[in-house]
Amino acid sequence: MSTPPTAIFPPRPEVVTDGYPERRPAWVQLATSGDHKAVGLLYVGAALSFLVLAVCELVLMRVQLIVPENTMISAEIFDQLMSAYGATAVVLFAVPLALGLMGYVVPLQIGARGTAFPRLGALSFWLYLAGGITLYASFLYRPPDAGTNPLPPLSDTAFSPTAGVDAWIVGVGLATLGFVLFAINLLTTIHTQRAPGMAWRRMPLFSWAATVSGYVVIVAGAVMVAACAMLLIDRQFDGVFFDAGEGGSPILWQHLSWFFFTGTYVVVLLFAFGAISEILPTFSGKPIFSHRAIARCFVAVGPLGLLAWMQNMYTAPIPIGWTYFAMAAAVALTIPVGLLIFNWVATIWNGSLRLRAPLLFALGAISTIAFGLAGELTYSVIPVGWLLDSTTIAQADTYYALVGGAVLGGFAALHYWFPKLTGRLMGEGLARASFWTILVGVHVMAIGMALAGLDGQPVDIYRYYDGDDLGTYNLVASVGTFVLAAGILLTLGNAAYSARRGVRAGADPWRGSTLEWFALSPPPPHNFDVIPDVRGTEPLRDIRDAVDRRSAVVEQPHREPARQAGPPVA
Amino acid sequence: MDRARKRLVASLALAGLALAALPAAAHAVPLSPEAGQSPNADDSTTAYWVLLAIAAVIVVAVNAALIVAAVRFRARRGREPARVRAGRRIQLRAAGPLAVVAAAVFVFGIVMTTRVSDVEPSGREGLEASSSRTAQLDLSLPSGGAEPLRILASGQQWLWRYEYPDGTFSYYELVVPVDTTVQLQLESTDVVHRWWIPELGGKFDAVPGRGNQTWFRADEQGTYEGQSAAFSGTGYAAMRARVRAVPVPEYEAWLDQQSNDIQDAQDAVQQRVQELAGAEAAAAGGAQE
Repeated sequence: MSTPPTAIFPPRPEVVTDGYPERRPAWVQLATSGDHKAVGLLYVGAALSFLVLAVCELVLMRVQLIVPENTMISAEIFDQLMSAYGATAVVLFAVPLALGLMGYVVPLQIGARGTAFPRLGALSFWLYLAGGITLYASFLYRPPDAGTNPLPPLSDTAFSPTAGVDAWIVGVGLATLGFVLFAINLLTTIHTQRAPGMAWRRMPLFSWAATVSGYVVIVAGAVMVAACAMLLIDRQFDGVFFDAGEGGSPILWQHLSWFFFTGTYVVVLLFAFGAISEILPTFSGKPIFSHRAIARCFVAVGPLGLLAWMQNMYTAPIPIGWTYFAMAAAVALTIPVGLLIFNWVATIWNGSLRLRAPLLFALGAISTIAFGLAGELTYSVIPVGWLLDSTTIAQADTYYALVGGAVLGGFAALHYWFPKLTGRLMGEGLARASFWTILVGVHVMAIGMALAGLDGQPVDIYRYYDGDDLGTYNLVASVGTFVLAAGILLTLGNAAYSARRGVRAGADPWRGSTLEWFALSPPPPHNFDVIPDVRGTEPLRDIRDAVDRRSAVVEQPHREPARQAGPPVA
Repeated sequence: MDRARKRLVASLALAGLALAALPAAAHAVPLSPEAGQSPNADDSTTAYWVLLAIAAVIVVAVNAALIVAAVRFRARRGREPARVRAGRRIQLRAAGPLAVVAAAVFVFGIVMTTRVSDVEPSGREGLEASSSRTAQLDLSLPSGGAEPLRILASGQQWLWRYEYPDGTFSYYELVVPVDTTVQLQLESTDVVHRWWIPELGGKFDAVPGRGNQTWFRADEQGTYEGQSAAFSGTGYAAMRARVRAVPVPEYEAWLDQQSNDIQDAQDAVQQRVQELAGAEAAAAGGAQE
């Protein structure tokens, strides 16, 4: 028995327990845990499963639209696919993927041992899953068919008497309630459990994005939970909230639901922005160009994005002043988003770029989101909105932003943090193949949809009549969608394979500079044995330097300190 | 000015030239919306082109910067990343031009919205000269002169019904005199519908219980096809609409004909009802005997 080197490590107090807890099967542990890592994994797993469903629905709809006047799928079934698809893609995939990764990574990034309300976190996941199951259980009797956003009066019992619409309302309401509880837990954790020394100004940018997203989810999500309850009361208990004949207002639902859906859009984009702001510095070997400016841009994007909800209602009978208000908020977004892109480009400029999968996806996300948000700027101008709203060109634009944010941005985050989640790297070859397939697919799809929209094809139709080359454009859009779907499935396959068979990754495979890479991969239940003091925005880099200095085994070249500089293009 | 900056300026100038040529090229490439046949559609199309150019500049600039950076700064042996952070003023210098663009787009948007909402008077070929202004819900009609032709368009699953000033009505096809300002009152009898004829201006919602309105002036004779653009249930894809613009005499003749046809049909129905009632009464009388 050797004596411990007491000179280096002073004796520590130890906790002696009365034996180990029983070892339970892994899935029971995962399902019953309130640990943020277990909840995060469940969120990510469920979100990616719902992504498969969304992709299937999208592909089926695009198959129907390949040729004019197709009779393969009936109007009823197409409407059901469409109604389920909208809720699945946004509420069951995009938002929970963002929240799941935030829930996993943020406590690690801020040096916390857990979350403030572990059981609330677990409850939020089960509410979300219950929502998803409620929606999909309706496929056993009668799926919803009142559209991607079921506007009253169409979603009232008079016009949609089937229970599928109730399943949509309850499903979306439950999932959204889960998101609100999740955000409460996340925000409380961020506010109260940051590591010593981690002031707001030193908090990693992904955690900043998560903070702003959390507030957006609470504000917009609470509104949607209320709206779903009101619509359910209208349908089941003779309520008149949205009933024009009884003093209610159908427009009210449009305000409430668009407020929420705009919020989901903002959350997805902020999530992608946060992940990009972590990935670019790590893979270019440079510090982020301006930590403070980017954090401030996030804070600006949240409220401005939410306030632009009436951008979806330009054609509704609302006073013109309200649409000016929405246009002002939407156009103002140009400033923070433009600054973000400027800071990102400045971060990689003069860097030494390791073009690994996370960086590839992050660059693709910026490019695709730029298409989406430039288009969004176009529609925010009211007459252009009147012209192109609810045509497939507007839809193409939404796809750009959501594929850029949730798929490319989400996959960038997935590839980046996958070693932390599983202890293994995702296959690089498959990742590259998936990236280029998705990028080609989204552009081909969007070009076809844009051209069809300019020729006057509205969204949500299950068939169209040939004329003005609509057949050709839809064929192009469908082919693009299939390519996109193939690319998405490649990454999902890669993740499923790599989770068990991937190359083992150490604690810090990318040489990151934030604290999640200080923990083991995957981290133990308590995250960190020792929580380090934080002295800057790159705490792990500081630790690495301190270790280098102390060990002094190899003479380290003097590190050039970060210096102030002018424009990066000089 | 060093080499990198010169190259940047040159490439920006090239991009600008390419964008200047874009509208011309785009008519060959099918990037243009359906050609406007009404003054408000023309204004919307102008706004679309201006914004498309701005969006194209943004997209080209961002993607060019990303591609250049990814190619030029790939990790190579011996490359040391420059650990540079932002200086003090640089964010403000970057935000300034962005704010100018945003403000310009906003002002441009308001100007164009006002122009599209300004109802222009009927032309000389039109039914009666008229003018006024509207921002759809807040349409403002031209002052003085005759009133525009007011037509009530009422959406119902899955058809549009048009009611003309004299009470005549038609379904699916709206017949209007050419070169005449038509003010369309939109309403719905069931769910939300969205009126849209691409060549005759933007789309507007018909919401039950809420009035809405829009206008157009068909500058040329012809048939304009459109389709409702708000999902309204199973028959939504078939909810099409057509506007036929005809010369004034033809319009008046059509209106008389339609009115007579409706009167005849109603008379026939009335007659049939009376016949049936008479037969029923006779049958009842017969049964009593």
